[in-house]
Amino acid sequence: MNRSVVALLVLLGILLVLPLALDRYLLSVMILILYFAYVGQAWNVMMGFCGQLSIGHALFVGLGAYSAAALFQHFSIVPWVGMIVAVVVCVVMASFIGWLAFRFGIGGTYFALLTIAFAEFTRIGFEHFGWVGGTGGFFLRVTQQDQVDLMQLRGPPILFYYLALALATLAFVVCWWMLRGRLGFYFRAIRDNEEAARAAGVDVFRYKMYAVQISGGMTALAGVFFAFYYNNLFPDQVFHISRSIEIILAPIIGGIGTLFGPVLGAAVLTVASEGINQALSMAGYEVPGVKQILYGIALGAAIMFMPNGIWPVIARRLGFGRAYDGDD
Amino acid sequence: MTETANPMLEVVGVSKSFQALRAVDNASLHVHRGEIVALIGPNGAGKTTLFNLVAGTLVPNEGRIVFLGSDIAGWRADRVCAAGIGRTFQIVQPFADMSVLENAMVGGFRGTTDRRLARRRAEMALRALEMWDQRERPASALTLPDRKKLEVARALATEPKLLLLDEVMAGLRPTETDHMVEAFRRLNAEHGLTILLIEHVMRAVMALAQRVYVLHHGVIISSGTPAEVTSDPKVLESYLGTAELH
Repeated sequence: MNRSVVALLVLLGILLVLPLALDRYLLSVMILILYFAYVGQAWNVMMGFCGQLSIGHALFVGLGAYSAAALFQHFSIVPWVGMIVAVVVCVVMASFIGWLAFRFGIGGTYFALLTIAFAEFTRIGFEHFGWVGGTGGFFLRVTQQDQVDLMQLRGPPILFYYLALALATLAFVVCWWMLRGRLGFYFRAIRDNEEAARAAGVDVFRYKMYAVQISGGMTALAGVFFAFYYNNLFPDQVFHISRSIEIILAPIIGGIGTLFGPVLGAAVLTVASEGINQALSMAGYEVPGVKQILYGIALGAAIMFMPNGIWPVIARRLGFGRAYDGDD
Repeated sequence: MTETANPMLEVVGVSKSFQALRAVDNASLHVHRGEIVALIGPNGAGKTTLFNLVAGTLVPNEGRIVFLGSDIAGWRADRVCAAGIGRTFQIVQPFADMSVLENAMVGGFRGTTDRRLARRRAEMALRALEMWDQRERPASALTLPDRKKLEVARALATEPKLLLLDEVMAGLRPTETDHMVEAFRRLNAEHGLTILLIEHVMRAVMALAQRVYVLHHGVIISSGTPAEVTSDPKVLESYLGTAELH
């Protein structure tokens, strides 16, 4: 355990000073990694810990993004307040989906389909929602990029690098803490066997609701980040199912249900995808789709040879124990 | 034993039907505080159904189930557990991806968010079943007898007042059965744990139970001390069939 903590602190230290050594492009890659580590962690709470598969998590990114962005653009409400509204909106939405599914015993694949359905009709709804631009997109005021305005979240990429780092670190710590306590134990019990969990005193409905609410609320923050980092939102992009898939790939490749999985997966996937991009453009290939095919092959290989993800394999090699267990 | 006091658990005229099949038919039984009571009967007699009715997995069509003064019939399983009834499953249901200790700790978190308390309860339960040395192993790596023990430990870690055991000795070797019998006796004597068990292993029933109920086709056909019940012609008939008697 102590070895893990030291390793983590060293990693955090490196990440804190890393921007000094990065150019603009590499900084944007790092931001992407941290962003995916964060949303992956949020998704992992639901699926990895509690066993509830969502393939519609872009719903929460989108709702969070539009909530904070609309408040900022229309009412000049600072994102720090908009963030709270975004979380509330997403928790309410998550509660509704959760209630609908768990009250009526919808589980497994059907639950996953339900999450897709909600993301899809919200996307269609936003395409016709003129107040936030509809299909034409919604754009945030952009000011001088070299001035850091922390209150309004306006500034150069490095501001967003540290924001993403803060989010990813916070999510990691929160999840670590969650897994140690009753919440984590009950989530994992539900994931492994609902009936046995119930017999052991777990209010299954309530804890599944918690999982969906926590996951949705965390993902809302990713949405706020997304909105203020990119400054433009299109329903077809933020809510699209490919976005939802993108979110879940990192924890799946990294190791579902583990703390390091989402982080590692985000790093591996982003670097692989950017690397393939770079390699192809250097080789002079501009064939559309080649990147996706290579990416697909890499994913297939990872899943075939490391079905539980990369982290469990590495953890065994390094001699790290399980990230969570009964021993202190 | 104080037969005059209110029983801890009282099942009164409980019935449960699955379409045409009347799995439990107007069954009544009671368990006093500190007792060990066995429920026996041939396969398909409705024993597990009766357990599921008490534990909240199933809702009875008729009857009352009174535990410590409250009618718990139709309560959700987790509420029944919170009220103080722990249960094991006949077909073991471990949390496969969790360690032995973590499995027991899930039970240990009943009514508390204190992780240390949960761990202490889990440790006590695992030690009582001689599973402590295996605490770091994933539950999926256990042998069947050990999974059965883990099933008991998890229920025990919820600190139940009444423990329902559904065929936990089935498939154990005789020495393992004796160990488990010994463990239950100790829990009963030292912690006052009340136990209602379904069991086919008569060696365990005879060694543990103070009273026995016999269920046949959903009906309680006999009850009494183990000696009384095993010499009851109705019981012999239900197990062996009438032909053998004539």
